[in-house]
Amino acid sequence: MRRCLTFVLVLSTIPAFSATADKAEEFFEMKVRPILAKNCFACHTASKMGGLEMSSREALLKGGADGAAIVPGDPDHSLLIRAVRHEDARIKMPPQGQLSSDEIDQLSLWVKAGAVWPKSHVSQGTTAAKGDDYVITPEQRNYWAFRPVTKPAPPKADAWAKTPIDHFIAAKLQEKGLAPVKPANKRTLIRRATFDLTGLPPTPEEVDAFLKDKSARAFAKVVDRLLASPRYGERWGRHWLDVSRYSDDKLDSERDAPHPNAFRYRDWVIQAFNDDMPYDEFVKAQIAGDLLPNPEKTAAGLGLYALSPEFQDDRVDVTTRGFLGLTVACATCHNHKFDPIPQKDYYALLSVFDNTKMDEYPLAPKAEVEEYKARKKKVEDEEKKLKEYVDAQAAQLADIFATRTSDYLMAAAKLIPAESVDKETLERWNKYLAKTEKEHPFLKPWYALQKDKQHESEARKFADDFQARVVKVFAEHNRIERENMIRLGGSTERGNLSRADLLSLPRDDYFLWRDLFSDKGILVYDEKGINRFLTGEFKAYLVTLRKNVDQYNKEIPPQYPFLQVISDVAKPKKQHVYLRGDKNNPGDEVDAHFLSILSSGKPKPYTHGSGRLELAEDIADPKNPLTPRVIVNRVWQWHFGFGIARTASNFGELGERPVNPELLDYLAARLLEDKWSIKALQREIMLSATYQLGSDDSQKAETVDPEDRLMWRFNRQRLDAEEVRDAVLFASGKLDLQGGGKPEHLDDSNFKRTVYGFVSRRRLDPMLELFDFPNANSTSEARIVTNVPLQGLFFLNSPLLMSQSEALAARVESSDEKQAIEKAYRLLFDRAPTQKELKLGLEFLHATPEKPWPKYLQVLLSSNEFNYVS
Amino acid sequence: MTRRDLLRLIGTGFGAVGYSHLLAETSGVAPQFPARAKHVIHLFLNGGPSQVDTFDPKPMLTKYAGKPAPSGNLKTERKTGSLLKSPFEFKKYGQSGIEVSEIFSKLGECIDDCCVIRSMHTDRPNHEPSLLVLNTGSPLSGRPSMGSWLTYGLGTENKNLPGYFVLCPGLPIIGPQLWSSAFLPAKYQGTYIANYAKTEPDKLIPYVRNTKYSADDQRRQLGLLAKLDNGSSDPQLEARIQAMETAFRMQTEAPDILDISKEKPEVRASYGEGDFASGCLMAARLVERGVRMVQVYYGNGQPWDNHDDIMIHKRLARDADPAIAALLKDLKQRGLLDETLVIIGGEFGRTPSVEVSGLVKVQNGRDHNNHGFSVVLAGGGIKGGMTYGATDDFGFKAIENPLHPHDLQATILHLFGYDHTKLTYRYSGRDFRLTDVEGEVVKGILA
Repeated sequence: MRRCLTFVLVLSTIPAFSATADKAEEFFEMKVRPILAKNCFACHTASKMGGLEMSSREALLKGGADGAAIVPGDPDHSLLIRAVRHEDARIKMPPQGQLSSDEIDQLSLWVKAGAVWPKSHVSQGTTAAKGDDYVITPEQRNYWAFRPVTKPAPPKADAWAKTPIDHFIAAKLQEKGLAPVKPANKRTLIRRATFDLTGLPPTPEEVDAFLKDKSARAFAKVVDRLLASPRYGERWGRHWLDVSRYSDDKLDSERDAPHPNAFRYRDWVIQAFNDDMPYDEFVKAQIAGDLLPNPEKTAAGLGLYALSPEFQDDRVDVTTRGFLGLTVACATCHNHKFDPIPQKDYYALLSVFDNTKMDEYPLAPKAEVEEYKARKKKVEDEEKKLKEYVDAQAAQLADIFATRTSDYLMAAAKLIPAESVDKETLERWNKYLAKTEKEHPFLKPWYALQKDKQHESEARKFADDFQARVVKVFAEHNRIERENMIRLGGSTERGNLSRADLLSLPRDDYFLWRDLFSDKGILVYDEKGINRFLTGEFKAYLVTLRKNVDQYNKEIPPQYPFLQVISDVAKPKKQHVYLRGDKNNPGDEVDAHFLSILSSGKPKPYTHGSGRLELAEDIADPKNPLTPRVIVNRVWQWHFGFGIARTASNFGELGERPVNPELLDYLAARLLEDKWSIKALQREIMLSATYQLGSDDSQKAETVDPEDRLMWRFNRQRLDAEEVRDAVLFASGKLDLQGGGKPEHLDDSNFKRTVYGFVSRRRLDPMLELFDFPNANSTSEARIVTNVPLQGLFFLNSPLLMSQSEALAARVESSDEKQAIEKAYRLLFDRAPTQKELKLGLEFLHATPEKPWPKYLQVLLSSNEFNYVS
Repeated sequence: MTRRDLLRLIGTGFGAVGYSHLLAETSGVAPQFPARAKHVIHLFLNGGPSQVDTFDPKPMLTKYAGKPAPSGNLKTERKTGSLLKSPFEFKKYGQSGIEVSEIFSKLGECIDDCCVIRSMHTDRPNHEPSLLVLNTGSPLSGRPSMGSWLTYGLGTENKNLPGYFVLCPGLPIIGPQLWSSAFLPAKYQGTYIANYAKTEPDKLIPYVRNTKYSADDQRRQLGLLAKLDNGSSDPQLEARIQAMETAFRMQTEAPDILDISKEKPEVRASYGEGDFASGCLMAARLVERGVRMVQVYYGNGQPWDNHDDIMIHKRLARDADPAIAALLKDLKQRGLLDETLVIIGGEFGRTPSVEVSGLVKVQNGRDHNNHGFSVVLAGGGIKGGMTYGATDDFGFKAIENPLHPHDLQATILHLFGYDHTKLTYRYSGRDFRLTDVEGEVVKGILA
């Protein structure tokens, strides 16, 4: 079964349009604008054909040479509607052919309802894809996301606000008359910060130290310690790996197909976070790491593209959504419907990636690499020789057998002696003929004839005819194969195959050919089988070739390690715009260049190779307002559970507006001031009073702002897949902090951190899947958090919980039951049990006849307190 | 039912006192008028079964076989050539005399209980958006699935089981997004089961059995857990406690229901062999125990995606046909067909024209076709023995009474007692619904 993955235009969130609010505007955007954009704008925006500019309601009212285009409320007297209905004697639009009746109805409905054309969308992003016609208006440039980053002064705020961040938060809360809840207690805070920065709980010793530290810098010290921990990169690197849709294998529909060196990208990302690699460098490394001054340190970042999902080209998508928060891939077929992104911008970026190739970046001395390659080539050459020899012999033999088809049929029918033909081949024929369900149309009469033994001569005649057909099909197939190769220009690549005009045998002939002559055909012998038919020099040659292959294979050393990277092709090709996204419908040529909206004036063509380094520099340019805004928003989301703008990978028109744009800008400006240091940004966030708020309820705030958009409290977060598994192993004392290197499956004998487990595109680990690990086939902007009974079963019955409860029991058990419970509470919850909890625990232990401790501790590991961070 | 849900209900006017007592067990939004259906079984022939080879006979296709379509080929995903006649014979079945392909002859015998919609269409010729729009009403991921909407609205009748099950031996492409609850509360998402026929019932649901601890032990554990976790007002924590308790009850009930060996041998035999057959029988058993919606995907990946050779449909139907027919008869036997809507179909159809691709492959297949395809409905308040809508002469495009998935969804919600414009959920400042801003109830197919 073939999979189609060509559709991967994933606008992550189109806000729904309700039947109630702003319905008319939504109707225009979803129904009317697309029709106009597709059929009218090419001639009636910039080029104003017939004097008519269709860029706003006003422009339509003004109309063109023939007067007003619309009469709002009255479609029957609107020229636009009459033209598309072909009612007007002279003007019938669009010239390329009448719209569908459905489209005409939509337009009529729209005019009837008053022809609402939302103000904010005036002439937005909809001009023709051709040449330089595309105009970005000052209004579009003034959209919040495209404005230059400024550093707003923190507003005045209530007394609780400590840092500038708090002032921005407090101002928004004040506007709504809200106050934040109380600060979190120290125990909650260190647990929160430790999970947040390392994905693990704190140790009891760490908690005690923090509780004892009464200095003003006590929490700052904790944050610094955690940021310096190697565990930090394992947590925060994984956040980025969600965006870069990291996986250890290919999405193959038939079999597991691991990428043996993918983990080097994962480890590089983890290390980059641990090293606090400046974010601009982190970006540049992933786009053009091979072209930077120290490629040995940055080339690994190219895994972002070298590990792209197969079958689908998401390279522009992952680049623009990942780094820029823009859905540029929506402009594959037409100008972006909502954002100022002309179609040619998509192809300008695609050009950069289309002028690269998958490559490897060896991590071994040149001599070792060459030695390996030479030996590998020797084997391959010899294998090729062997295969060619066997194929040639097999083809010749099949050809011979084909000319004896008649005899084999007769022998199979026992009309001539079996000894007159080859025994094994006869067995194959017998097996083939026994499968009546094949219902081979050419053989139907044969089955009838066999029932009647009297007609030997008729049988022979049929067998001869059948043989003639077999010989003919064999020849015809060979002819078609040659012809198809010519039509394909010698290439059998998937893309070419699906679009070329190819010849094929008629269906029934094809199956006859397949059953007799394909690799598994009954007349075809493989290397082993053919041996029997060879003698003398022919046989000796086969033996020699085989021996050589085996010998050379033994001489190959293990393959040297390498990075999976991309590199520029030797001769960059010119890219065309594909009209309507159709590769067979090339339009104008485009140069590789940056996005128009992020360029001042006309974008300058890239001139070096594919243009990757220039693209990297444009994205990482501090003057580009999106890159810093997008990453600070992600960092905020990874700390708090949701971003200041909730659509972390879509800052365009259809994304959600930031709830606190001043704060977002302040953070972006601070990131630039701190030379793109992510850790500095995190320190500032975590030392705010906002981060340190409790997670208590507030009736009033909940009514006004139920989702806590304004941050009146810290939102409780469920542990994610990695945290659940790591925390259980941490509690039991089994967690193995050795990490990095080849991924291992998350089975019962693997105690390493979950981030180092095998991540599959084809078949995701069931535990990861159960706890909402993202699908690695496309970039993920946020994790969904689900809550289903199957997760409950995991806590009740999974081997992990059962075995680790026992391990934990061994860790806490003591002759004094009370002490053991206290120890467990300290390990799991960083606190002492209450009297009531002690009592409940003891009651449980005494009421449970067998293995009371593991059963008790399993309950604690399953509790909400263990599985949520407050 | 969480406090926040309750607040929301009160806010939208459904939280009247008279209804609130029901909320403990059910949930969501009260139906607006009497329901015809209580359950739905969606038999998803994933990959895109061909309408002209199954439920939409086209004599003109036979007549023009091998010639270019007079009106030209519509744009689909790949290149297609001249018209390809169906290799299968169509025959009239039942009192209604509806024509069905020979590969669905057993389903043909039940045709008087079925409404064959021959005028479905979707927006794109690609699997992903079409699977999504059929399941969630949106071609983009991130919207709640129909099963989630139904369980959100009506809850489940069996508190020991999730209200919405998804069965597939393997995964359909894009998998869990198709049964996601998206922004609806998480408990409404589909519970997925890899229903390989050879898997023991205990192993169908991961971690469903505990071989070491007794039920008494576990009851004690749950009791302790409830006491320790008690006292939170946070709805997500409350929901987690509920999920743990459902999990506990599932351990005994679910493997038993999914164990089709407990069924009478003649009933089992009627469904036939294989993963899909066992999935259909499990669906009947789940619905019998009060599960709201069961989706049974035919197989891993997209088995019905026969680009190269449409004859493969015959092999697929060899499993599908007896199982579907047996399910319809079995539901009737159990007195469940009246209240159970059965949906049979894929994410789109296939082109009447032959697909031209492949190097030395057989060219006997069809490309995706979103312009026109068939879906069969039965039971649950649907009028049997009728066809609805039509495609053009060759089966390329729906031209008479075209039906978008939104219309189908509006009709399904109607059968469950909902005005589809009123089963809404407020999220992120807007009211969302399954049918977006569209959808018309198709009154003509209601019994």
